[in-house]
Amino acid sequence: MTAPAPQEKGTTPTSSKEETKSTARPRIGVFVCHCGSNIAGVVDCGKVRTIAEKLGDVVVAKENKYTCSDLGQEEIIKAIKENKVDKVVVAACSPRLHEPTFRKCIQHAGLNPYLLHMVNIREQCSWVHSHEKEKATDKATDLIRMGVAKAAKLEPLEAREVPVEPTSLVIGGGVAGIQAALDLGNMGFKVYLVETQPSIGGKMAQLDKTFPTGDCAICILAPKMVELARHPNITLLSYSEVEEVKGYIGNYDVKVRCKARFVHEDKCVGCGLCAEVCPIKVDNEFDLGFGQRRAIYVPFPQAVPLKYTVDKENCTHFKTGKCLLCVKACTNQAIDHKMQDEVVNLKVGTIIVATGYDTYEPKKKGVYKYWEYDNVITALELERLVNASGPTGGHLIRPSDGKPPKRVAFIQCVGSRNIKLGNNYCSRVCCMYAIKNAQIIMEHEPDTEIAIYYNDIRAFGKGFEELYHRIREEYQVEFIRGRPAKLSENPDTKSITIRAEETLLNKITERDFDLVVLSVGLQPSEGSKKIAKTLSLTTSPDGFLAEAHPKLRPVDTAMDGIYIAGCAQGPKDIPDSVAQAKAAASSAAAPMFARKVTVEPLTAMVNEDLCVGCGLCIELCPYGAPELVQGSKGGNKVHVIEALCHGCGTCAASCPQKAIITRQFTDDQIYSELQAALQTTKSADNKKKTEAEVS
Amino acid sequence: MGEAEKTFIGGLHEELVEDKVIDEAQLDPDFAEQIRKYGGKDVMTCLQCGNCTGVCPISLRIDYKTRNIIKCCQFGLKKYTLGTQWVCATCYRCYEHCPADLNPAEVMIALRHIAIREGIIPPFIKTAATNLVKYGQSVKPDPEIDRVRKELGLEKIGTEHPEYHKVIREINVLVHATKYDKLIGIQDEVKA
Repeated sequence: MTAPAPQEKGTTPTSSKEETKSTARPRIGVFVCHCGSNIAGVVDCGKVRTIAEKLGDVVVAKENKYTCSDLGQEEIIKAIKENKVDKVVVAACSPRLHEPTFRKCIQHAGLNPYLLHMVNIREQCSWVHSHEKEKATDKATDLIRMGVAKAAKLEPLEAREVPVEPTSLVIGGGVAGIQAALDLGNMGFKVYLVETQPSIGGKMAQLDKTFPTGDCAICILAPKMVELARHPNITLLSYSEVEEVKGYIGNYDVKVRCKARFVHEDKCVGCGLCAEVCPIKVDNEFDLGFGQRRAIYVPFPQAVPLKYTVDKENCTHFKTGKCLLCVKACTNQAIDHKMQDEVVNLKVGTIIVATGYDTYEPKKKGVYKYWEYDNVITALELERLVNASGPTGGHLIRPSDGKPPKRVAFIQCVGSRNIKLGNNYCSRVCCMYAIKNAQIIMEHEPDTEIAIYYNDIRAFGKGFEELYHRIREEYQVEFIRGRPAKLSENPDTKSITIRAEETLLNKITERDFDLVVLSVGLQPSEGSKKIAKTLSLTTSPDGFLAEAHPKLRPVDTAMDGIYIAGCAQGPKDIPDSVAQAKAAASSAAAPMFARKVTVEPLTAMVNEDLCVGCGLCIELCPYGAPELVQGSKGGNKVHVIEALCHGCGTCAASCPQKAIITRQFTDDQIYSELQAALQTTKSADNKKKTEAEVS
Repeated sequence: MGEAEKTFIGGLHEELVEDKVIDEAQLDPDFAEQIRKYGGKDVMTCLQCGNCTGVCPISLRIDYKTRNIIKCCQFGLKKYTLGTQWVCATCYRCYEHCPADLNPAEVMIALRHIAIREGIIPPFIKTAATNLVKYGQSVKPDPEIDRVRKELGLEKIGTEHPEYHKVIREINVLVHATKYDKLIGIQDEVKA
């Protein structure tokens, strides 16, 4: 590949005024950061600085212990004022960390903030070459030489502002979604909450009590659900799904499909007369198959909205065209079997994704025989069985014979911390819910024997260790360290024998239990996977939605204006989910309060004269930024929606006409960098050659 | 514990009970590294959940705990472990069930490599190796076996095959060339 000469780059649309400006030699300042010993411990910063000082166009070169400190920044400002520096190169850490800091710094000194170039000599040099100090110093010098060459070609850019619609969309009506919606509503923003199920409440509504304090889950959640439904700023779209999202921060166009309930929400008063006469009984999903519901139903008594829904799959009318007993029973004429799905278009400024989790479903042919043995159940099923409003009224029974179990075993880490299954992570809640459920069982039936088979007990939260202590002290629950190897069923009594190595005893044990509870882990919900595709969100290796930065931007996503909360981001307990929901609400509120948001000018732009409208860039762009429009001189031309563009450069690299320019990554700038890099290699080659000749 | 078991296990259990306190002098800090060298790459990753012990078919018969041996390997308790690994049938059930996707059977094979090189060779290994160079198989040919095979409609084992002696010679050459004979201590049996 031959690099075209820089003068051929005249196609860059710059005004003639700017061109005359750039004909004067640039005055570049180089600032080399020690970063304590992070860089200086490996790279010889003094040597690097002296070499940088001698580079063409460099008028001043300084080194600092911490360039990002007040002292370091003052030095940059001083150099700009005293030495008339007009372009700045900072050789320090990754631009992801401190580029905004230094942009503000040079702006303060009167320069355009985009006349800064950062050279990464920490992550990409000193940290990775800590064993080769000399070579690291050479590399740092090379990188700075390249940086200076690029900085010489930098052009001032202006950041732009886009308006922000002060409306938010919350996807998912679990505890995280409810909290985020309430917080935003209380701040005065219009909020739409979309939930796929007939009622909000999510997984928390299914739980019995919550650890470590033992609050009843629905008792603390239901008031929030009611508050949300009555909130003047919140519109609840239950039994609905987000179908399509277009647009960018501040200006999203959302299509929501409100599925037909076959009951008019405005007329239904939730009296339940219809369900009383409905002849169809099916398993209630909410009770995980232990309880039953009618074909016209509310999933649970505290449901919000308390509006009945007709289950199309099971309703007799949809099969035979007859029945309609419910219609006759309804005193408000609320039921309408001819209802159709409705598509609602919303315009929102920000989106919070709180699509939650699914519990791990044990494998059909797995070791723990969940599908084979009646008396092996999952923890979520146990939650329904011990729940006062559950199918048994809170009496724990064995599914095989309905009798109360006398010996109960919990098996931990089912579907988590398992590399074979691909769920490598710890689900964070299983240790504590098993301990909490053991406590509930012991409170109901004090003569029950309980054993918990565990690998490690992780009681890390506030009040968790105390609960772990109390369960051993008060209830004498037995903790067995070992992963069960085999479960077998006694065909007569239906009790389960667990074979496991009690690793702390160094003995293999075989013990009988009446009921075995699998403490299943959490995994990304189907809804999360779907919404990740709709919103083009990225996922972490574990499959949960990825945050923008694991420590410093825990509720943001890579897409501006879209935030995540709750278990959609990773396994969490209720306090963490609520905290994250509040954080997401406050992050989403910031641009909505300002009513405008600054968009980075580092975007792609199209030279209309060169564009032939082939549309290759439209296919390749991961953010949907380029679009085909009618050109000013006729013909199809590409236009880049700047608010959507992330400046990744995919379009510019692919354009066969070289019609697309990515600002601050123009061909001219990149070729200058390359030339500087090749110069270095050449001189090194020459050095080698001369050395070889001498020897 | 029966006599036969003792031969197999080498008394891991007894020695552990005898030593009340394990001092540092008994530990071999390079032991895990040595095991990794011979293919037991997963030895240090083990979480000690005990699933391998529970599923091991050998553990049904005798006092043999996969997890415990791995722990001794991690710890560097070389002298306890080098007699134990022969009992492993390398059925790989431990590998199949391990939640961390580790392979304990590979560690057992690595332990065999180390034990042989340290000269800890149980008599039955020598017998099997001698049979290999003499008859081309680790089990001695037996007229009784031939009779049963005939009853089952199976072929006779190939001792009367025209190529048989040629094959035995090749095995002998290979065993000698790879110094396997010297390693096991059966130089006198090999005709190369």
